[in-house]
Amino acid sequence: MIRCSHCNAQQMNGTIFCSECGATLITEAPRRETTNALSRTIDGIPTVVEDGPHTVVPAPPTIAKASGICLVVINSGRRITLESGEELLVGRKDNQRGIYPDVDLGLDGGYDAGVSRRHAIISPSRKGYMLEDLGSSNGTFINSTRLAPQTPTLIAHGDELKFGTLILRFEIA
Amino acid sequence: MAPGIQLRSTLSRSVLPDVTEEQLIYVLLEVSAQGVPTTMPKLPLNLCLVIDRSSSMRGERLQQVKEAANRIVDLLSEDDCLSLVTFNDRAEVVIASQRVRNKVDLKRMIGGVEAAGGTEMATGMALALQEIQRALVGRGVSRILLLTDGRTYGDEGRCVEIVRRAQSRGVGLTALGIGNEWNEDLLETMSARENSRTQYITSASEIAQIFTDEVKRMHSVFAQDMQLRAEMRPGARLRSLDRVRPFIATVPVTEEKDLVWATNLGDWPGSDPQAFLLEVVVPSLAVGDHPLLRLTLRYSLPGMNLLNQEGNVVLRIGVRQAASVGYDVDVTVKHWLERLVAYRLQAGAWQDVAAGRIEDASRRLQMAGTRLFEVGDVDLAHTVQDEATRLLRSGQTSAEGRKRIKYGTRGLMGGETQEREA
Repeated sequence: MIRCSHCNAQQMNGTIFCSECGATLITEAPRRETTNALSRTIDGIPTVVEDGPHTVVPAPPTIAKASGICLVVINSGRRITLESGEELLVGRKDNQRGIYPDVDLGLDGGYDAGVSRRHAIISPSRKGYMLEDLGSSNGTFINSTRLAPQTPTLIAHGDELKFGTLILRFEIA
Repeated sequence: MAPGIQLRSTLSRSVLPDVTEEQLIYVLLEVSAQGVPTTMPKLPLNLCLVIDRSSSMRGERLQQVKEAANRIVDLLSEDDCLSLVTFNDRAEVVIASQRVRNKVDLKRMIGGVEAAGGTEMATGMALALQEIQRALVGRGVSRILLLTDGRTYGDEGRCVEIVRRAQSRGVGLTALGIGNEWNEDLLETMSARENSRTQYITSASEIAQIFTDEVKRMHSVFAQDMQLRAEMRPGARLRSLDRVRPFIATVPVTEEKDLVWATNLGDWPGSDPQAFLLEVVVPSLAVGDHPLLRLTLRYSLPGMNLLNQEGNVVLRIGVRQAASVGYDVDVTVKHWLERLVAYRLQAGAWQDVAAGRIEDASRRLQMAGTRLFEVGDVDLAHTVQDEATRLLRSGQTSAEGRKRIKYGTRGLMGGETQEREA
């Protein structure tokens, strides 16, 4: 069996598009598993995202390639392309309180996923991009490690970012 | 060369690794006419037009429909039978089934149709079945051509039942919807049988073209009673069978006996190539070359008086040591599969919407958009992604977007090019 890197469903060897989510399975060599027994043990691990240089959601060819960074919301496949070079607030829009984040996760089920209105900031630095939690209620995670509040931490291309329980992948274009 | 149908098959991979588990392989089956004269004798056509004349059809739509009906009269000859049924709250036989002799008279009767009232489709369909049966002939093509722009209320079940009765008697249905108000689920259900199809007409000006194209297609039916059988090697099985050309439609298959699957493909209008995609589960096999399945097509060529013809093709696969086998897949097979996957994703999305799973639905539509971008159908991909965004924001879809997506992913939009070669 092979495993869909997009939705984690088990698929028969030779499958070209995942029968569950429709993602392509042949942009890379499939992760082959040797026995059924082995794949059962893997089932128990709740990893949702495979890190790696491959693209899970191929970018539509018509979207202009901005020289910036990109956040991919894993569960909807939405790509949020961002200008580089300034601080970017991640959170949920709130008209009453006048909070208009650069990355509004309210559209992606952010409220249910526990995304705070002012959740975190992505900022450029000399070394690369930093992610800083703004004391959010439900936490910010890089590759499943929780960040201490107000502590900018370096993030790299392909990192899995989690805001509350909402998972995004960070990409540098 | 003797006239007949040629079968050609392409495998997604012709060489498989020797793994100890089942593997999936995709088979593209293309069937094309061989040695067929370019001018085929026309088959007699038994046609019944069923026209929605509810008040919403008033104006340009009904005018275009009458125009189109007149053009059909011009296309038919004395060998053909025509009837015309209209319906609003009631149904009425405008032209009783008759040979097309006095075209002036027929056109005068068409000219008298006026729009008024509501939409009750089932009574119209019942009258249509009654009329078309008056002229049922052994040789030839019988067809009901339905055009509607509205929703019928409360008699959907009867509509389907009447159509099934017609289909079981060899009467096919072409169901055409115009505008945004009609019930695409109903038209799709009604035409979900061999010999039937549905199409979406976006503007009234297309009506005449689509009507005449359909009549030409019916006139030029090249093969009839097509039946496909797939005989598998032990351990293998057929997971799915879909038509992918000229339009996408799932083909229901029945397991006739162990390792044998069979299906009825109906008539073949025109003689443009058709294509089917099969998903075949291959059991674990030893290194070597193996026959995988045999596909047999039985058919009749009524225009040439060739009945009960047969063509077949045997598919073989090679199994090699896993380390020496790459992951390359045939690009043509992948292209058609990708279109099919887009169609399946949107179909799944509407089921999600119906069940209230809005986020799942939006996700599926997003992925359908990605698949459509990959096959180069950029306009449709944008429509799908807009609808996905709309769904996520408002929890709702637009009637028009939904129809465009449903019909567009199947390659069934009026006025647009349907064929795209890989």
